[in-house]
Amino acid sequence: MIACVAVVGHQNNPLYLQSFTGADDALKLHHIVHCSLDVIDERVNNPKRSVITLNESYLGLLYPTESYKVYGYLSNTKVKFLVVTTDLDVKDTDIRSFFRRFHAAYVDAVSNPFHVPGKKIISRIFAVRVSGIVKAFAPGTYG
Amino acid sequence: MAPLVPKTGDAIFASIDRVNAELFTLTYGAMVRQLLTDLEEVDVVNKQLDQMGYNIGARLIDEFLAKSNVSRCVDFKETADVIAKVGLKMFLGVTASVSNWDPEGSSFSLVLDDNPLVDFVELPDTFQGLHYCNILSGVIRGALEMVSMKTEITWIRDMLHGDDAYELRVKLLKQIPEEYPYKDDE
Repeated sequence: MIACVAVVGHQNNPLYLQSFTGADDALKLHHIVHCSLDVIDERVNNPKRSVITLNESYLGLLYPTESYKVYGYLSNTKVKFLVVTTDLDVKDTDIRSFFRRFHAAYVDAVSNPFHVPGKKIISRIFAVRVSGIVKAFAPGTYG
Repeated sequence: MAPLVPKTGDAIFASIDRVNAELFTLTYGAMVRQLLTDLEEVDVVNKQLDQMGYNIGARLIDEFLAKSNVSRCVDFKETADVIAKVGLKMFLGVTASVSNWDPEGSSFSLVLDDNPLVDFVELPDTFQGLHYCNILSGVIRGALEMVSMKTEITWIRDMLHGDDAYELRVKLLKQIPEEYPYKDDE
């Protein structure tokens, strides 16, 4: 079950944060996302860069806590996509395809001429699409 | 000649130079955004878009007539069909449908199900009065005026405001006979 998804800009400014569980642990999810940003920075500034990453880098499992797992994905414009899931065994391919769809929805939202780059994403269509992608993801892990 | 018209639109579209659709959409979006920043009032921007469209249409009609070789339209109904099937197809790549003729045959509705100008666009709440595609109404008005038809064009349905398609109402006001700017004895 996906607990929350987040999009963070290249200056670590939050662009979109949506939680799909009950509302009371929203703050905890924010905190987890924030900590994961540090992990991403570490990975990005590491000698892992010897392998030239052409465009998107799927960063994989960033941060396993006792009940959550956080996966990360970095686009070539340094926009970070994070997903926090409560599932214990998620297939890598599922997460990768999730991120691809998420990235596509993000690109469409950002192409809106009324979107200001660097500000939060207020597109309702984006929110609906992300909810759809999240809902479509959950059954796949049991397949 | 009439049965050939729908096919001609596709053929011309395939033969002329084309530009990337996303580049076109993003350029138009940036232009509207800049107009909003410069002019600030939604009504003024609507008028400005219409005026820009008018200037474009006045020049576009020559290219249209040169490339499409359509014969002179017998009546307004034929004009409507040519705009919808040949003109829009040639320049935007979409076909529109013509409907809702009024009893005198002087006004019709042009319905567009698909509009490349508005891909990715979502109007924020502060600009709800904006007719984002107003340039289209200006283009049609400008083009028709150059072929001696004075028209009035209004938006009936707009997908950015929640409707299911784009509908333009085109009303023929009058046909202007051709005037020669020179005196006969010069």
